[in-house]
Amino acid sequence: MPPRIPCRAHRAACPTPTAAVRCRTRLQQTRFASTSASAPEIYDVVCVGGGPAGLSLLAGLKASPTTCGLKVALIEGQDIQKNRLPKDASVVGFSNRCSSLTPASVRNLQEIGAWRHANASRIQPYQEMQVWDGVSDARISFDWDTARSLGPRKPTQPTTIAYMIENVNTVSALLGRLEELGGVDMFASTKVDAIELGTDTEQLDLSSWPVLSLSNGKSLAARLLVGADGANSPVRTFAGIASRGFDYSRHGVVATLDLSTAGWGGPDHKIAYQRFLPSGPIAMLPMPGNFATLVWSTTPERAATLKSLAPNDFAAMVNAGFRLSPADLEYLHTLPSGQAEEVAWREKHTPTNERGLPVRVTDVQAGSVASFPLRMRHADTYTGERVALVGDAAHTIHPLAGQGLNQGQGDAAALVRTISHAVQTGQDIGSTLALESYNEARYAENNAMLGVCDKLHRLYSVESGPIVGLRSLGLRAVDAMGPLKGFFMNRAAGGV
Amino acid sequence: MAAPLKRPASSWICAPSKVLTHSVRLPCSYRCFSVLNRPQPSYEGHIPLTRTERLGLALGSGLISFLDPRRGDLIAAFGEATAQPYFINHLRNRMLLNPTGRRILRDRPRLTSTSLNIPRLRLLPKNTVGHVYTEWLDREGVSPDTRAQVRYIDDEECAYVMQRYRECHDFYHALVGLPVFREGEVALKAFEFANTGLPMTGLAVFSALTLKKGEWRRFWDIYGPWAARNGAQCDDVINVYWEEELETDVDELRSRLGIEKPPDLRELRRAAREARKKEKAAREAAAGAAV
Repeated sequence: MPPRIPCRAHRAACPTPTAAVRCRTRLQQTRFASTSASAPEIYDVVCVGGGPAGLSLLAGLKASPTTCGLKVALIEGQDIQKNRLPKDASVVGFSNRCSSLTPASVRNLQEIGAWRHANASRIQPYQEMQVWDGVSDARISFDWDTARSLGPRKPTQPTTIAYMIENVNTVSALLGRLEELGGVDMFASTKVDAIELGTDTEQLDLSSWPVLSLSNGKSLAARLLVGADGANSPVRTFAGIASRGFDYSRHGVVATLDLSTAGWGGPDHKIAYQRFLPSGPIAMLPMPGNFATLVWSTTPERAATLKSLAPNDFAAMVNAGFRLSPADLEYLHTLPSGQAEEVAWREKHTPTNERGLPVRVTDVQAGSVASFPLRMRHADTYTGERVALVGDAAHTIHPLAGQGLNQGQGDAAALVRTISHAVQTGQDIGSTLALESYNEARYAENNAMLGVCDKLHRLYSVESGPIVGLRSLGLRAVDAMGPLKGFFMNRAAGGV
Repeated sequence: MAAPLKRPASSWICAPSKVLTHSVRLPCSYRCFSVLNRPQPSYEGHIPLTRTERLGLALGSGLISFLDPRRGDLIAAFGEATAQPYFINHLRNRMLLNPTGRRILRDRPRLTSTSLNIPRLRLLPKNTVGHVYTEWLDREGVSPDTRAQVRYIDDEECAYVMQRYRECHDFYHALVGLPVFREGEVALKAFEFANTGLPMTGLAVFSALTLKKGEWRRFWDIYGPWAARNGAQCDDVINVYWEEELETDVDELRSRLGIEKPPDLRELRRAAREARKKEKAAREAAAGAAV
């Protein structure tokens, strides 16, 4: 086993880790010298991927007094500045990639000081959620009023279920915070050409360290390499960690919708809606003003049909998705056009309670209709020797509970705690021993959430038969039992 | 203590509305459905029933129509009482999935002797659907105007589906060439059950138990298997727009739907009767010879 390079506790005043490495290697003068063209630059933490999870991790590290002395680098393949929200962004055009941030994620962003950098006028908290079965119409409503345990609601209890935010707004907020904190070497528009283990040279032994060769010719050695590089993570491949799972053979169709009004609860009481159709759930989530974002999980064929529709037909299909029977929807997807007229006729013969449904979609923002394949993936472990995985690199989840981005935020926060603890106790932050607590804190929790979402998807894919009756009975029972509903809401909110 | 007493009575009756939040709260006029408080009919001639009433209607009409199958009104009531809540919706969904079925639901055509113009149909070439239909009407001595109005189906569109099924019933007879008396009716009902899934048609097959021995044998050997096979395999007959098929060749329509024509029941009965007569005559002759 190669000698481990010790890492002292890094306080703001302590010598930089690179200095620590040098002083240690001077003692190894007797080692056989080998020539190396250019020694890699040594970093404590190298994060590959500048998405919400990776940026949250770096902001967390830099915001904590314990870990702010670490030398960190960020490598992102795309131009970070180009993907930022413009400062004067008007509150009209919303991106179609939005996420629902749980109160736990928001609290974490507040703690690391990023939340105040977000564009608040483009964030929409919502206070109620209506979920129902597209086959039986069994319904459950989530709001903290009906989910109270016993007695009246305390004024201190939260009323917000979650916050709808564009992913670009989250990323911009985190970048704003990182700029404020400083001290992160950003390699934007830079690709990682290769990751391999370093060599054992005269000066220092990097044989257990991942060394990254970048497209700009630089080479970085990482005490801890963090993979925040998405579902097809090169870091995970380098670490030899298998990611298991399957494809749902479903696509998520996203779009930004124009609504006829701000919603049944007005601008101060926004409501999210989700209807479970046998092909997958359709969800409409509120955005500021008369806007909403759509996430419609459906078969790839139907997703292709939806994407090919004219705006008025697409809007009619979304209205139909919340109102018409699965049989009607099945037929509507076979038409090449003319859905608006067909839906208008069918709505006359489909009795609905409009108060329980989202307000009508009047239009869809041009160019906002897109789709992505839905997958379920889970890495065997989140940590390896000098490697940790966060966010989508570690797990990919069905979007039906809106948990994907929140899991990544939870990972980042947990990894910050783990690194912080390792620094405080003088451990090598890249050692498997130090990283163990990160895997322990997140794996089981993420696995449970992945499992629940997967089972819900399966349960609601059933179109008819006794399962429909049983699941409807169960849904109504949970709806009637306030404390039990409160428990589920707590879990979905990230255990507030 | 006084405060709760001031609440409107509806909030006591409809306890579930308390757990609904203000966004989905039901209107104050909402009352639970009971004999004392019948909701408005949702279409002309509609009679809303409570569950108990529906059960009573199903049992009563089922029993009497089993004992006396000529009570068409009770068979109709039995069909309506047992078709809800699942089966009629299922049949409507099958119509909604088919372009022609959707067109029927949109146009809502009604089949009557005036809308069909029976004298014109008689003039159509032989072997067209219209001609075969009138031939069948004349042979069986029935009229398309004898169909009762649907009253007990709650959804107005499902009520139309029931009405349509009922009015098309004679066309099914003509299509497969089965007569109206008990034996032919049972065979057609078995076919319809396999095709439409309406419980009344399935339960009507039980009246096969009241058939005579020879009829039962024919049902068991020929018509029952034919009905099960064809009903399950062929396209939904509810999705045939009969008004547009009147001039189609009936064999072509049958092959398009995937239906084989069963052996002519009247012919079989005549043959059986003659065989019996011959046998009887032979027996009498033998008896006479013996004496």
